This record gives sequence, C-alpha cells and structure tokens, in this order.
Amino acid sequence: MELETLELGPLKIRNKLAIRLFSAVDDRLGVKEILQDEMFEKIVPAHLTFWACFGGISFFIFICQIVTGALLMIYYEPSIMKAHSSVARIMNDVPFGWLIRGVHAWGSNLMIITILIHMTKIFVTGIYKAPRELNWVVGVTLFLLTLGMSFTGYLLPWTQLAYWATVVGTETPAAMPVVGEHLRYFLRGGEDIGQITLTRFFAIHVMILPLILASIVGLHLVQIRRQGISGPM
Amino acid sequence: MSSTLADNLNLDTRRRFLGMSAAFFSAIGAAMMVIPIFQYLWPRQESAGEGGARSMKFPAGEVPIGDAKFIRFLNKPAVVIRPNEQELVALSVVCTHLGCVVKWDEKSNELRCPCHGARFDTSGTVLGGPAPAPLPSFSARIEDEYIIIEEV
Repeated sequence: MELETLELGPLKIRNKLAIRLFSAVDDRLGVKEILQDEMFEKIVPAHLTFWACFGGISFFIFICQIVTGALLMIYYEPSIMKAHSSVARIMNDVPFGWLIRGVHAWGSNLMIITILIHMTKIFVTGIYKAPRELNWVVGVTLFLLTLGMSFTGYLLPWTQLAYWATVVGTETPAAMPVVGEHLRYFLRGGEDIGQITLTRFFAIHVMILPLILASIVGLHLVQIRRQGISGPM
Repeated sequence: MSSTLADNLNLDTRRRFLGMSAAFFSAIGAAMMVIPIFQYLWPRQESAGEGGARSMKFPAGEVPIGDAKFIRFLNKPAVVIRPNEQELVALSVVCTHLGCVVKWDEKSNELRCPCHGARFDTSGTVLGGPAPAPLPSFSARIEDEYIIIEEV
C-alpha cells in the first residue's frame, strides 16, 4: 500500500522516496506512533514559563560541548611539551579554531550558569518533591559530574592559570582527614602535577566523564518522560 | 472569474511556502555550520610534510661507497645508494605493491619490503615478491663533492 502523502504532525511529506524510506522503518519499529505521541502531539502544559527551559538549554550546551570537544581533540596534543603549543595553534593557525575553542570554553561557563538556574527553579518551586525526589538526586549527580568536567578540562591548555588552579584544586581535598593525602596522590597520579596528571585529566575529561554524564542525562530524561511535567504551583 | 478571498488565503499553499522557506533557511544555517567545520578539519599546508623541492643537494661524504642514505624527496621517502665507486642511484622507496617503505639490505645489496617481501635491486628492478612495477628512479650525479638529485 502506497501513501500519497504522509502526515507527521505539522509535516506533510509528498516525496515518494521519503515516504517509502519512512514507511520501511515505521513498519518494523512503529516509529510514527512514538513521534506522534512524544513529539508532534505532545501537549506542553500551559503553566510552563521561560524558567522551565533551562534544563533543555543545559542539555543543548552539553551537545555543543560534545561536538566542539570532539573537534578540539583533532588538534589537541595531551603532552606537557605540546599541550600549550597545540592549543595556541588551534587559536592562531587552524581555520575557525578560535571559534571552536571559544564555544567550548564559553559553553563550559554557560553550562554551569544554566544548570544553576535550572536547579534554583526546581528548588524554589518545589518540583523536587514526591514523586520526583529520585530525579533530583540524579540531577545533583549531573551537576557534580559537570563540575568534574570543568575541573579536568581547565588543566588541559597547560597554562600557568591551569597549572596552579589544579595545584589548588588537588590540594583542597588533601585537607580532609585520613583520606585527604591519598586522594591528592590519586588525583595527581603522583606527588606533583606533571605529565601523568595531564594524561589522566585528559582521559577523564574526554572519555570517562562524558560517557557517565551522557548515560545519566539519558536517565534524567527518561524519568521526566515517565513522571510527566509537574503541575502548577 | 474573480478570485475569492478564500482563494487568496489558500492555507495549504501558504503552509507549503512557509515550509519551503524554513527548509531553505535551515539549509543555509546548516551550511554555515558545516563549512567552517570542514575548513577546520582540512589539513593545513604546513603539515603536508617537508622536502617538497624539485631538486636537492648534499655533501657526497654523507653517502659512503657501498652505503645508502634515506632522504625525503618530492614529499615522499627516497634513498640514495652508492653500490660501488662508479654508480650512484636515487630511488623512491615507496614499494609499488602497497606503499610500504622498503629497507636497504647491505649484505645482499638489495632493497627489501618488510610488509610482503618484495625485493628490488639497486636500479629499482623487481627481483621477486608481489611488486608489480620497478621503483621509480630519479636522476642523481656528483658535482664538486656534492650529490645532486633531480626529478627525471
């Protein structure tokens, strides 16, 4: 059976090939139903304001960070001899490198701000209350992971600022009783900050934290869809 | 026949026009993102490699008789060999089989490919193995104690 036009929410698709391709997927997975229910005919509660957008904005910035971060990895070299010069090269020589790195660096700051606004909104309006306590816990975890991303990413350009910020940042947990000194040793990968620190911060920043962060973001969104948007205050 | 107000406000046509406009401007927006990213990813000239010159010159003492010196010529690895007093050859060392860099074997006076065992003599002729063609050669001569290599 060939459809003349395919109606997907506001879209009217008349292209034969597009209809056939979509139908081929839809016949096997029932995608149309999901798109209709979850996207095109999903009713957004009327009481939502601009302040409800900040979770989505944070998510958008997170996607931007993944894209620009992957692009930066093309030219960045995680060695203490080359880290700074490779970042300088990205800024000065590579076409649009300044833009990619600028978006990444500003995005990291913006993401913290939008997450804080998001959390403040959730907190002040009491959305974290039952049955959404678990998602608050997941959300706080996401915030802490984002701070971890900021902390590990800050060292990577290997500037004076980056180096001493990491000295201070790894010295702080050392003040903790009993475990502090061991924690500092673990974070630095030794007594001092050097190549080993840079390499492990790089691995944490580009691989370990992003994977954890992305999967927990998925969990965060699944919970929102499962529980629905909370009612008006 | 005069057109009615309803004809002028044909909603389906309007929606289609708006849809096409949205698609057009989205395409421009996408291009504005994709083109800089492509330019960002495209390798710069500086990283293309050294040795792009069409000829090169170095002291003859750097290649003793019976020895070989690996150089970079025309942006590709090459070798200068002096098998004996009279001869001087300059060859590309990119194997004609699948592009590995062949090695100089002093004992047998042959160039051997470490990947699939192709063998070449000092003039670049195939002696054995899977190589389909001889190694390309360059003109090489000695002038005032300097070896000069030029593209043939």
